[in-house]
Amino acid sequence: MNHAVAVFSPNAVLNKTAVRILVATQVVLVLLLWIFSPFVLLPKPTEVLGALGDLWEQGLGAELITSFLLNIQAIAVATVLSLLLAYATVMPFFRPIVALLSKLRFLSLVGLTFFFTLMARSGHELKLSLLVFSVSVFFVTGMADVIESVPKEMFDLARTLRMGEWRVVWEVIVLGQISKVFDVLRQNAAIGWMMLTMVEGIVRSEGGVGTVLLDQNHHFRLSAVFAIQLTILLLGLFQDYSIGLAKNMLCPWAVLTLERK
Amino acid sequence: MGHTTYSYGKTLLKIENVSLEYDGRPVLSGVSAEVKDILVPGRIQGQVVGILGPSGCGKTTLFRIIAGLMKPTSGLVTVNESGTPVRAGEVGVVAQTYPLFEHRTVLGNLMLAAGRKEKDSQVAKDKVMAYLREFGLEDKFNLYPAQLSGGQRQRCAILQQILCSEHFLLMDEPFSGLDLIMLEKTCELIAKVANMDELNTIIVVTHDVTAACSVADQLWLMGHGRGEDGETGPGSRIVKQHNLIDRDLCWEPGIITTAHFTDFVREVKEEFRSL
Repeated sequence: MNHAVAVFSPNAVLNKTAVRILVATQVVLVLLLWIFSPFVLLPKPTEVLGALGDLWEQGLGAELITSFLLNIQAIAVATVLSLLLAYATVMPFFRPIVALLSKLRFLSLVGLTFFFTLMARSGHELKLSLLVFSVSVFFVTGMADVIESVPKEMFDLARTLRMGEWRVVWEVIVLGQISKVFDVLRQNAAIGWMMLTMVEGIVRSEGGVGTVLLDQNHHFRLSAVFAIQLTILLLGLFQDYSIGLAKNMLCPWAVLTLERK
Repeated sequence: MGHTTYSYGKTLLKIENVSLEYDGRPVLSGVSAEVKDILVPGRIQGQVVGILGPSGCGKTTLFRIIAGLMKPTSGLVTVNESGTPVRAGEVGVVAQTYPLFEHRTVLGNLMLAAGRKEKDSQVAKDKVMAYLREFGLEDKFNLYPAQLSGGQRQRCAILQQILCSEHFLLMDEPFSGLDLIMLEKTCELIAKVANMDELNTIIVVTHDVTAACSVADQLWLMGHGRGEDGETGPGSRIVKQHNLIDRDLCWEPGIITTAHFTDFVREVKEEFRSL
């Protein structure tokens, strides 16, 4: 099929070269749209790059490291907590608790800051707990859905192999769904970056990229705001790619049946 | 056509008056049947039972009860003259979709099953490799289930259950969606597995009348049944049983091409319509 036709055909699968050309074309198109945009308030790429250079000299690198480490720490804690809670739903006692936690994702972080402040012993702990909470409520929802969607025949298979119920949980839910943990993690690690800037705006004691972003936004320095957003996007893409790579390496079976690998 | 001399030995599986209600609605009503060891002088002869019935008649429910995966509302299923209700794991189950643990390789899946009975991992591995050779899968041991063809996956799922269960294998719709060649191969595979041990018993749940007749030595027809007033009963039961050995319809090569077989299939199909 002609590539030009294929890109608009439903369920068409392109070869790697065609995908690369497609992505490169779209990136160039976005850049052209950005460069020649009629919106005067939208900073030009050269202005953004210039602002990025200035910010870097002012210590953006250190702020990024602070934020990156905080985010990684929060994601690690949230992942462990959420997985434990989601796996606990195999026991009826924990199902209502997890269902309630899942519903808390509708709450605003700003409204919860006061309670977390009372519990936290330092600014870092406050930021960490706010981030862990905001990521966990989404993570636990995703994982609980994954566990709930395991088909009955997989449980039957484990039971016919004389497994006790805890072994069934280990084989069918923990090991059997491990590739989906990476998918849920990918989504929630991205949510972590979204929440991070908000949390760093609420608790400014340690700085971080969120604090810098809010400061620049406050002074309406749009070039700098765009520069920070671009940096966060690149970091996020790196994080996303790393999680995807880890999934492919650790769960090679997960991509075998996919049409678009 | 030669009449094979056979006799019955001990009872291997007994279903006693099994009933099941779901949300107050009767699904199974007093299902009773038994499988006895078929003894044929001079050879190992396993047992193959075909359970036939229309869609939605409760075949899969009965299947799950026989496998010990579901408890009936009343009644009992026992295996090996134990007298105690069947427990999950005593009866192997091969579901229609041939489920396997996708995160394990073929060897991993089979070792998991073999390891339940054999604690020495080297002995278990030797046994698994011997079975893989026997079933033509020796070069697939390192593949994941997603990399197997439909036929290979079927054999792997069967092997997994054979390695773990006690001579019993339940197969849910094993002929569903197969072409003619695959169907013949599946029938051969069932016969091969059944005849690997004197006590091996395979119960095939299907609605493919011809395939069931070609592979089974006895048929159980399941349905609601009709009373004298012509009304159907409240739940399904085994309405009729056919002994295919007495009718010279099994263990003979090429039996399915005979007029005798065709007539029998026609007879069962007629009965099937009234189930």
